[in-house]
Amino acid sequence: MVTLTASGCTSEGAGRTEVIVTGSTTLLPITEVSGEMFSEEHEGTTVLVSGMGSSAGIESVSTGSSDIGTSSRELKENEFELGLVDTPVAYDAIAVIVHPDNPVRDLTTMEVRAIFAGVITNWSQVGGPDLEIGIVNRDEASGTREAFLKIVMDDAQFDRGAVVLPGTGQVRSVIADVKGAVGYISLGFVTDDVRAVAIDGVVPTEETVVSGDYPVQRVLHFFTDGEPEGVAREYIDYVLSPAVQDTIVREAGFIPITAKEGLGG
Amino acid sequence: MGKRLTNRIAVGVLWLCGLTTVLVLGAVIVYVFVQGIGQITPEFILTAPHGVNAEGGIGPTIVATIYVTGLAMLIVTPVAVLAAVYLAEYAVQGRLVNTIRFAADTLASVPSIVMGLFGFALFIEAMGLGFSVLSGALALSFLMLPIVMRATEEAIRAVPRFIRWGSYGLGASKWQTVSRIVLPAALPRILTGLILAMGRAVGETAVVIFTMGQAIYMPLVPLDPGRSMTVHLYTLAMEGINMDAAYGTALLLMVMILIFNLSARWLAARNRRLKG
Amino acid sequence: MAEPGQTPDAGRGTDPSAAASGLKMMSRATYLREALLKNLFLVCAVVAVAAVALIFVFTMARGWEVVKDPGLVAFLGGSEWSATLGRFGIMPLVVGTLAITIGSLVLGAPLAIGTAVFLSEIASPRMRAVVRPAVEMLAGVPSVVYGFFGLVILRPIVAEMTGGMGFGTLTASIILAVMIVPTIATLTEDALGSVPPGIREASYAMGATTWQTIYKVLLPAAKIGIIDATILGMGRAIGETMAVVMVAGNAPQFFKGLGAPIATLTSQIVIDMSYATGTHKTALFGLAIILFLISMGLVALVRALSRLNAKKA
Repeated sequence: MVTLTASGCTSEGAGRTEVIVTGSTTLLPITEVSGEMFSEEHEGTTVLVSGMGSSAGIESVSTGSSDIGTSSRELKENEFELGLVDTPVAYDAIAVIVHPDNPVRDLTTMEVRAIFAGVITNWSQVGGPDLEIGIVNRDEASGTREAFLKIVMDDAQFDRGAVVLPGTGQVRSVIADVKGAVGYISLGFVTDDVRAVAIDGVVPTEETVVSGDYPVQRVLHFFTDGEPEGVAREYIDYVLSPAVQDTIVREAGFIPITAKEGLGG
Repeated sequence: MGKRLTNRIAVGVLWLCGLTTVLVLGAVIVYVFVQGIGQITPEFILTAPHGVNAEGGIGPTIVATIYVTGLAMLIVTPVAVLAAVYLAEYAVQGRLVNTIRFAADTLASVPSIVMGLFGFALFIEAMGLGFSVLSGALALSFLMLPIVMRATEEAIRAVPRFIRWGSYGLGASKWQTVSRIVLPAALPRILTGLILAMGRAVGETAVVIFTMGQAIYMPLVPLDPGRSMTVHLYTLAMEGINMDAAYGTALLLMVMILIFNLSARWLAARNRRLKG
Repeated sequence: MAEPGQTPDAGRGTDPSAAASGLKMMSRATYLREALLKNLFLVCAVVAVAAVALIFVFTMARGWEVVKDPGLVAFLGGSEWSATLGRFGIMPLVVGTLAITIGSLVLGAPLAIGTAVFLSEIASPRMRAVVRPAVEMLAGVPSVVYGFFGLVILRPIVAEMTGGMGFGTLTASIILAVMIVPTIATLTEDALGSVPPGIREASYAMGATTWQTIYKVLLPAAKIGIIDATILGMGRAIGETMAVVMVAGNAPQFFKGLGAPIATLTSQIVIDMSYATGTHKTALFGLAIILFLISMGLVALVRALSRLNAKKA
């Protein structure tokens, strides 16, 4: 998974305008579909989308290799000085998922932290069967991992022996297959193959995310180098419009950025 | 235990080895075929991926694969063939030839990930070519060079000596002999080697992922980016969202390589038949 | 230095009269053209050397700074690889590479050598016509397809067996073993093929069984070739990346069992490369340098062994 470099921003090639969007794999359901629709509605414009991880997206937009860097995490301290402008496009919850046969349905934040740090190693320690816990982690380029690290893990480190998989779908299919496995994916990717556990008694749904009750939530970002302009600006406006927010964003399992407006949040 | 019994057991074990190898190959091919055949429709081959779950086809990746492989062969063939001509016809045993052979062997065993990283450092960072078919082709040509060199050299050496003597006897110069007599005679074998090298290039992943990139794009000019079928398969498998497309990609990939392999064999067999 | 008019090994033989008379056998223009072409071809051949040098120079240039940060000892001897903590010690990766290399050789070398012996000594021409193409085609399957196969078929099976998730040394070793079989088998078959047939006949004439002939006569005779084949297979296993990333689990920890996830020098590069910056990226190039040196070392080893063998013959 490598940073996509192109010959510059919004390049004009043979009468075509390109908007290069790279970054989070979590955002792909939004960026790929909206990018395709935008390209169709705008003759001569192509939105090029690739997903290599939020960190890759942030790096490529700051070096100018892409027009928009998508990210499912906040900027890190050393990234503040890059001069990036943030346009939030959706809300997302990160769900902790287990095998559907796993009877454990509820965990406290402390328990989740202890599990992923490798301190708790058996499901029996959290009220489940006598089964070894298998941690499935995301790779370090993943914004989902970063967000999880910050929100749930706080200062604790992930267990060194966790399996690292570079892809949301893989995490899900492994957990759907292995009884003792546990991992975390964006709520939008949860299917019936796995079960999302409640955290501190709150089940992750759109309502609990919008109300703020479900703690493990985050904002999905479009970052640009300075204020967005030109075709990139048009694309971003398009993504923020109801045409995308109410359809694509919802279909992908995220919460529209507009959903919280009525609550002053 | 008598020697007869030992012999029977041992031969049985060796049979098992041979059969296991065939079975493993069969298992891989059959599995990919069974899972993937349902995916192969004209749309799959021609259209581009789109949608949330990478629906649609893999057309651009097929184009990208063929494009980058073809360009790489175009770049590497002249150099490799002429280098082989030197080694087979002109070279005298010595330090230089030894160094060249050592270099060729080393080049052949460089791990493709190292080649990919090198390609990234040279073509993307230093030369600023960006992720493109050209960067990918250049990196692949490094990989292909020793393969084509070796195949061509063997092909040239296989041409019987007396053919050359006839030519020299008629007063031809070295180059005339090589270009008009030796190379044409070696051509079928050289072509076989080229086809096999292409099959190898098609299967490369680590090299192209760092030089041609990952963007799904239908490349038109060499500076366009693209995603090869191998990279697409890797991405699909790791994303884990559309495994059907992954199987389809794997099947098409294997079919493509099989075509290369079988063509090479057919060419070699035909050459043998004609030469007697 | 050859006389004008005489090309070095033109196959004309040594014709003393031509040399003595000093007659020009070709025009000056032809001579110049011949010399030019020869040097052109020489340049092409030297390209191979230039290519290797280029690879070495560029990866070195991009990666040598690991000597400064984190420092050679910390890099080579460090026991922790964690980008978030800024620690780049390669020991866990080296152990990972070692583990799957040994695993794949243990599983793959005997199978490969057995197949080669089968092809060379036991198989009927009909069997040969089936098995040999099979070996060649196994060589043609791309590594991602093997990795894919490992991911969807092998991983669940190993998970059942070991009780873990199925990512780790065992799965990676099995997949790699299959991948190196063609390499080792073809070279071993070549080695067996170059043993003179007379030796076999002599052995059979003395009443030896097939197995006795193979075990006591042929394998020792082809020993160097088989060792070469195994070394090259080892090189292939060490350098394999994509299949490993898909089945090894990518956890940079020391070996904890066959079913525990593990990372290698190669897999770590792919996992980290997309987002690495600064020291991290330099460290990845450091890994590339190490891999390059290992592969070059193995080639040198094989060449040295072959020279030894040639001297004996």
